[in-house]
Amino acid sequence: MLRLTDIHKSYHVGPTTVDVLRGISFTVEKGELLSIIGPSGSGKSTLMNILGLLEQPSSGTYSVEDTKITYDDDRTLSSLRNKMIGFVFQQYNLLPRLTAIDNVGLPLIYRGMSEKEITERSMEYIKKVEMEERSRHKPTELSGGQQQRIAIARALAGSPSLILADEPTGALDTHTGQEIMNLFKRLNEEEGITIVVITHDPKIAAQCRRKVELRDGIITG
Amino acid sequence: MIIKANVKEALKSLVTAKQRTILALIGIVIGIGSVIGMVSIGTIVQNEALKQFRDMGIDIVSVTKDYERQGSDEGFSMDHVYGLPGYSPLIKKVSPYIVSGAQYSYAGRDLYIELMGVDESFFDLNKLYIREGRLLSDLDRNRFFCVIGAEAADMLQKAGIKEIIGGQFLFGERIYTVIGILKSLPEGGGMRPSGINRGVITHITTAMRAFTANTITTFMARVDTQDSKAAKTIIEDYFSKRTSGLRVRVRTAEELIAQMQKQMQLFTLLLGAIGSIALIVGGIGVMNVMLISVTERRKEIGIRRALGAQRSDIEAQFIIESVTLCFVGGIIGIILGIIISYVFSHFSKWEFLISQSAIVLGFCVATAVGVFFGYYPARSASRLDPAAALRE
Repeated sequence: MLRLTDIHKSYHVGPTTVDVLRGISFTVEKGELLSIIGPSGSGKSTLMNILGLLEQPSSGTYSVEDTKITYDDDRTLSSLRNKMIGFVFQQYNLLPRLTAIDNVGLPLIYRGMSEKEITERSMEYIKKVEMEERSRHKPTELSGGQQQRIAIARALAGSPSLILADEPTGALDTHTGQEIMNLFKRLNEEEGITIVVITHDPKIAAQCRRKVELRDGIITG
Repeated sequence: MIIKANVKEALKSLVTAKQRTILALIGIVIGIGSVIGMVSIGTIVQNEALKQFRDMGIDIVSVTKDYERQGSDEGFSMDHVYGLPGYSPLIKKVSPYIVSGAQYSYAGRDLYIELMGVDESFFDLNKLYIREGRLLSDLDRNRFFCVIGAEAADMLQKAGIKEIIGGQFLFGERIYTVIGILKSLPEGGGMRPSGINRGVITHITTAMRAFTANTITTFMARVDTQDSKAAKTIIEDYFSKRTSGLRVRVRTAEELIAQMQKQMQLFTLLLGAIGSIALIVGGIGVMNVMLISVTERRKEIGIRRALGAQRSDIEAQFIIESVTLCFVGGIIGIILGIIISYVFSHFSKWEFLISQSAIVLGFCVATAVGVFFGYYPARSASRLDPAAALRE
């Protein structure tokens, strides 16, 4: 489904160049539950941004569904993000002004769906994460675990084939974190959604069927 | 759909940032308010000026002796003036008149009045109507009868005189019997001689005998409206032929209207320009608020981009927000502008008008300001690097 070939990424910070990724190659198959594990500074987040089409690699090729990404057209990239990828962030990244249900409907707005359709569909996914009683609440009125559930519902609302989760349990206590992991596992098994979890926590990584270890910008295992 | 959602979003975001929104609004309100107010006042003034012409008709010309080209004391002779309608069918009616200022003294108080000598057709040409008593006619030749203007009558009444009509008054150096009081006239502009409201009006033949300044320097005429230019030439030719080179100046209503409209346009343009400066300042305020808004919401922009918003979606979101802000400001500004022009017309006692074109202009300008001053912030928002914005 996803194929990275010899991906390099370097940043220019003033006169110095920092090589964050130094030749990453791996594939993600359809229906996988994969973890990318590494300490902070290993390049995990950069890798996730590249996987999520938010950043362009300095060199190397990235193919999605056997189509090479060319990065020359913002519309295509935005549209792929919108339809194919669902993001789950460590800090949830819900918009504070919007209610839970409006947050969930956000990706659908950019598809030009009708208001009614968006509400129906958002509610459906809010139920899936068992948050229907809090659908009209603002993010600030929800606990961390509840916010992350809403964020997952938002990632699911566009019915993507891939979920990219960047430290999804990083801001949660062990118990709540486990609930979120269980939710991912269920979605992976029942719906067949490909899930890539980026984490520094070996316990989380251990729950995924496959593990990619990252250290200093290269895959070590 | 996206637009509707965006307008909702924009309103929410503007309400959230109350203080800033209100400050930006004030700028736009003052800007739009002054443009609308100024343009409306211009319209009111113009309407008032043209009203006189609507009352009197545009077929009136005023002929004066051209002092610039002729220094002598010679004026128009009655025979020459009254000979004009016989000379050309384009001249329908003529009415010579003499004006001379005078004091009226009563119980130790001096009032300034306007002494006028006119003929019967003067009342018709100037659309003067009687309030009490009767008008002067050509049968009142050489008699010391007069009609007085509304303001003059009020002054006499205030001075304590009850029976004005039939009363005898010393105006200038002669005693006149008042036979009528005229209806009040609006002041200023137009073809009508000024001062009729304060006037004491007697027959021109009487005036020739009684006034110290008794040369006829002005007369009015009604001409064929089809061709006021031709009438003008005829009048000029007539006097150069019949007299020893008496030069005249003919002013037609059309000329006066054209001249006045030109002035009014300039006036309105000037007022509009003053308002526009306020509007530009307001627009810069909006731009500032939008730039702050973009900076504060970098993270939001990153999230939206990650969820699939195109650059154009982000651009639209911020432009709609800025247009919404300006539109709301525009509505309040238009109301403010109408209030300003209402207050103006109230105190000037002129007819209040709401200029529809000014309101349409207000909405268009508000929207244009929103787009213009929102474009740069919106564009910079849409160009943000999504990954960098998300890291905030």
